[in-house]
Amino acid sequence: MKKTLGVALLSVVCVALPVARGAESPLEPKVANSSSTATNASMELDVDYGFAAGSKAHTGGHDLGYVSEQNAGLKYVVSPELSKDLLLRAGFEWERFSFGLPGNAPLPNTLQQISAVLGLDYQIDEHWLMRAELTPGLYSDFQDLSWCDVDAPLILGGSYLVDADLQWFLGLRVDLRSRYWIAPAAGVRWKFADEWTLNLLFPNPRLEYELNKRVQLYLGGRVLAGTYRLADNFGTSHGIDPRTNQAMLDFLELRAGPGVSWKVLPNLTVEAEVGCMLYREFEFSDPHMFVRSNNPAPYAQISCHAAF
Amino acid sequence: MKSVALLLLAAVGGVFNGGVDGQETDLAASLKSFSDIQQVDLNRLLGGEIISERGSLMKFPSGMSTQLCFAVPMAAEETAKRLQEWNPSPHKELKIYAFRPLCTPCEIADFKDLKITSSPRSVGWLLDKTLTTTADKSELNLSRNEAQQIASSLKKNSTPAEVSSCWARLLWARASAFQTKGFDGMAPYEVSGETVSSVAQLRAMVLEESPVARECEPILRKSGLLGGGVPTLTPVYYWQLFSADGYGTLSLGARYLLPVGDHYQLLDVDCYVNGNYYTSVTLYEVWPIRSAGKTGSLVWQGDFYAAPTLAYTRGVDRVAYGAIMLLEIKKSVRAFQSDIRTAH
Repeated sequence: MKKTLGVALLSVVCVALPVARGAESPLEPKVANSSSTATNASMELDVDYGFAAGSKAHTGGHDLGYVSEQNAGLKYVVSPELSKDLLLRAGFEWERFSFGLPGNAPLPNTLQQISAVLGLDYQIDEHWLMRAELTPGLYSDFQDLSWCDVDAPLILGGSYLVDADLQWFLGLRVDLRSRYWIAPAAGVRWKFADEWTLNLLFPNPRLEYELNKRVQLYLGGRVLAGTYRLADNFGTSHGIDPRTNQAMLDFLELRAGPGVSWKVLPNLTVEAEVGCMLYREFEFSDPHMFVRSNNPAPYAQISCHAAF
Repeated sequence: MKSVALLLLAAVGGVFNGGVDGQETDLAASLKSFSDIQQVDLNRLLGGEIISERGSLMKFPSGMSTQLCFAVPMAAEETAKRLQEWNPSPHKELKIYAFRPLCTPCEIADFKDLKITSSPRSVGWLLDKTLTTTADKSELNLSRNEAQQIASSLKKNSTPAEVSSCWARLLWARASAFQTKGFDGMAPYEVSGETVSSVAQLRAMVLEESPVARECEPILRKSGLLGGGVPTLTPVYYWQLFSADGYGTLSLGARYLLPVGDHYQLLDVDCYVNGNYYTSVTLYEVWPIRSAGKTGSLVWQGDFYAAPTLAYTRGVDRVAYGAIMLLEIKKSVRAFQSDIRTAH
């Protein structure tokens, strides 16, 4: 950690060290003026993969058998600083759910999102930070892609910073194609003891215990959700109500379990967790019907976050 | 008669407001010339408001800066003196466990109150990291020689009392070197990777903010921070034990005071920090002000902070880090203002 810092420091210090009085003024900027922010850009990369074992699914009183799941995601965002208080966010996101289905299940095998990420982070005042993020792209079972599969959910978030130990969060997700087109959320991050932090932040609320500077244990929840367009012949090909052809599907899954977060490098964090998938729901828009799994099933998840 | 009275009131009000506005204009112009503070309202500042500005992301990769402005109902000379001598430890919210001034020359007895124990947890962390220090490796900011001394002492006796004693000796040696050699006496940190010179970091951060560096040139030069000569100011020295982001941290500091024309400059600098961050420096300018018939002081404060974490904290995380740092600094300012009000 400090090795990298040392190298960076050498380059800065070499040009910034003052010279003796009488020579060129040491007070003239040798380092570019801080108001010049053209090169201040950060990058974030998130990768995750998870597996949930089979859980019995049912619809309208009929058992459909066991449905298992693999989920994977990749998100890359570049964030250049447009001004001191305003940062742009631009990148892409991919998320995929693959389900292991019994033969007769009226469910898609895959739900997938491939989207751009366009957004802004803005510091409104000394206490408030806000984020607006639009993710236009394809949200579909990827059977027959068309313009109908395009969606653009919007996330608005605000953080109220009280001090280093307490921050409040407010969020709003707007997705006009979902049955729940507006979804508000509130949260808090409260470091109530040196080693304990209550991080109730959607979609991954947690109670965290800091083992040391690099390793953190947590007990948390995880909400996986999305809205997807089904294939033109989904109902027909699955032998169910043909009105489900091209239907919208809201997917929701709730998980809970313990995990460990390891800061492998100062800018690279790896997380692993195991636990129970508590509830899964596929909600069709028209006709309005559900496929639910509320038998707990074990899951495991690994995630990686890097910032450059 | 009534209209005459009203006219008189208006005239008096106009003169009074003109006086305050004139002073505000002068101070605003002064502040604007070197700082990020663009507007001042003396009445609101004297009412307790603190104006603040987070600095832009610095080119210096592990640096961060903030600026703020506040007022206290006390003459500038007295305010400057109190800033130089202020003991923040009675304010529990600042999480400063011990704060002691040092003699000149300092003595080992100046550190007799230094106690490194397993509780609270933040100080316990410092105890653990001291015990795991070897002759050539440590998570703490140490020179090779210091690491060897700690490892050697704790090999024979690893009690908290011995750990405290080790740190007392180390701080005494660091403080003595600083008192005799100034900034040239600040030994680099050598055992956690590449060598890190905290004095070079201080210089890099201050010089990056060139308008501030130009404004504060008198105290930067006379303290010796910019090098190029023998320091001509005698500071107030201190050591403190505090929680930095939840981790127990020991630091040695020096506070310099210099009258410059009609105002005062102060420099509060870390001569040594034993972990969690590398170093920090706070610059102050204190001006006399007068508002509503009362005298007071306007204080501009610029904080510069270098930490290894910052080199890897980017984007909105860094914006949030800066905003939170500013809120924490404001806690200190409010504590200082509260002490001034109590004393007044």
